[in-house]
Amino acid sequence: MADRLTSVIDIRGDITAASEPALMAAYEEASQQGARRLVLNFSGLEYMNSGGIGMLVTLLVRANRQRQPLAAYGLSDHYREIFELTRLDEAIGIYDDERSALAG
Amino acid sequence: MNPLACPAPRRLASFALPSVPGTERIALTQVADSVAHLNLPPQRLNKLKTAVAEVTMNAIEHGNDNRADLAVDIEVFYSGSEIIVTVTDHGGRGDSGWADDGDDAEIPDLYRKLSGDQGPRGWGLFLIRHMVDGMEVTVEGERRTVRLTMRAPVQEGQAGELRHIGG
Repeated sequence: MADRLTSVIDIRGDITAASEPALMAAYEEASQQGARRLVLNFSGLEYMNSGGIGMLVTLLVRANRQRQPLAAYGLSDHYREIFELTRLDEAIGIYDDERSALAG
Repeated sequence: MNPLACPAPRRLASFALPSVPGTERIALTQVADSVAHLNLPPQRLNKLKTAVAEVTMNAIEHGNDNRADLAVDIEVFYSGSEIIVTVTDHGGRGDSGWADDGDDAEIPDLYRKLSGDQGPRGWGLFLIRHMVDGMEVTVEGERRTVRLTMRAPVQEGQAGELRHIGG
């Protein structure tokens, strides 16, 4: 279970450039509620393209400014590989499941 | 059989899509369906789908300026050892968003992006090059074609079914 300093953002469906308003709104809401750490749940991810990767970079820039570490879990093998290729796995802690991501 | 006679690649699919953002999802599904009988390992198939989606997105956005009246033409071939996907748009005379000489494209760097030295986007060409074995861009008049290749050697089994060998 997330503590009040950690927020989990559940991602469902597609992550593309068009997802930016929804994801940033979720980030803003979590930040306003005092989240000091954010965990992205990719279990429901169906498709992500280069626009979505760019959007995650934008999210990282904003989170870094606020000194809010990002973590993620639920990535398929394919998208884990893409995270490694883009080095997103160096900036976002990657975990196998929610429990380990929250314990991170 | 004459070993010097190489049969032409067999066309597996040919279709056109309107240049509407999001249509790349249809492209990757149709390409995947057309090669389903080749029994690619899942990780290879996912890579092919990602590359096809990225090329199609570029064709829609940069080649055809998101104009729904302009089609992106996609064909899928199989040579017996290689899957070939061609994606053609009308971006031959305009800014394709990619240099035709791919080496000129700036390599995206996460840390430069995080520091603001690069914009957050620009990952498409980078992804494609890591997903497939080959990519070529040719221009003929106003038509620009991106040709993707992925090695997929197949051995025909005793029952006549196709089995994928190698990785």
